Amino acid sequence: MTGSIQVGLAALGSAVGVGLVGAKAAEATGRNPGAAGPIRTQAIIFAALAEGIVFIALFLG
Amino acid sequence: MNFRRFLLAITLFVALPFPALAGAEEATSDKSAPAGESHIDDHKKHHGLPKPAPILYHGIGGNPETGKVGPLAITNSMVVMLVVAACIILVAQLATRKAALIPSGLQNFVEWLVESLYGFFEGVLGAHMVKKTFWFFATIFIFILFSNWFGLIPGLGTIGWAEQGHHNEHVTNPLLRGVNADLNMTLAMAAIFMVLWLFWCIREIGPGGFVGHIFDVKGHGSGFFGIFLVAVFICVGVIEVVSICVRPVALTFRLYGNVFAGENMLESVMMMGNQLVPYIGGAIAVLPFYLLEILVGLVQALVFALLTSVFTALMCEHHEEEHSH
Repeated sequence: MTGSIQVGLAALGSAVGVGLVGAKAAEATGRNPGAAGPIRTQAIIFAALAEGIVFIALFLG
Repeated sequence: MNFRRFLLAITLFVALPFPALAGAEEATSDKSAPAGESHIDDHKKHHGLPKPAPILYHGIGGNPETGKVGPLAITNSMVVMLVVAACIILVAQLATRKAALIPSGLQNFVEWLVESLYGFFEGVLGAHMVKKTFWFFATIFIFILFSNWFGLIPGLGTIGWAEQGHHNEHVTNPLLRGVNADLNMTLAMAAIFMVLWLFWCIREIGPGGFVGHIFDVKGHGSGFFGIFLVAVFICVGVIEVVSICVRPVALTFRLYGNVFAGENMLESVMMMGNQLVPYIGGAIAVLPFYLLEILVGLVQALVFALLTSVFTALMCEHHEEEHSH
């Protein structure tokens, strides 16, 4: 059996990370619907940063 | 004035992968043997997208047989890129040809797009920086968005020709391919952003301010604790430099990986669906993923434009704080 365990682990970690970002962003929007715009912007930034790990692991790992 | 800059930026993007491809000549020729093998393997196992974009025209002095790439080589991604750029320029020209004070029709739509983008980036960059950098971020957003969506048009990858002796059912040399499914394109955009970023930072806060911003000592201690703090923040500065160096790599691979993986995923799902229910299964199975890919195309364009603008804002915000004091 062959494979690249580091990509799998990176994907696991970043999936958890993106999930946490999404959960907290939804929660924050629920608490303060007026701030939906800035929260969405920040959520996208942090989701993208968490997601970037996979691509680094995939192509450079 | 802004419109001219917009045209200039589009032309710049279109011209970029040419030198990038020529620069990648050694890399492609080095890896030509294993790349060729994996290409064949790909075709045997599943009809996925080959990782490097197939080169249609090897450029001046290039040789298709040895894999040598000369200047002005053209890959199939670049064909789509030229088409998308031409479409955007055409729409912009048509919209502004008869500019009226009260816009209607196409002009109205384009003004709505530009104005909402301006408001969006103003929120990120601030009123001062957005005037100077809006042309770049808006162009990059519009260009990535429409090239992603253009790449999703059904049947785009099936236009092309098959090699001699190959099955007719499968196109071995596709003419068209999603723009950002080519690493050269995303790398070129990330590289031009980093150059512009450096230029904007130096112009806004000066070379001293630039270094000072990276190796910034926050908080003032005295005696041993002060020296300790300076050492800590110099280490933080080194980490900051590494993170800045990773930015273009992450930007490149994020966009490329998302678009490339999306195209492969659509194809895999299609094959699986076709195995379960012949002829119509694939089309039904692929539909939710197709809608997902439309969303991904929008989100990735947003992410690229947003991340680049946030990087710029992070470095240049210092200047504005000083002014407001």
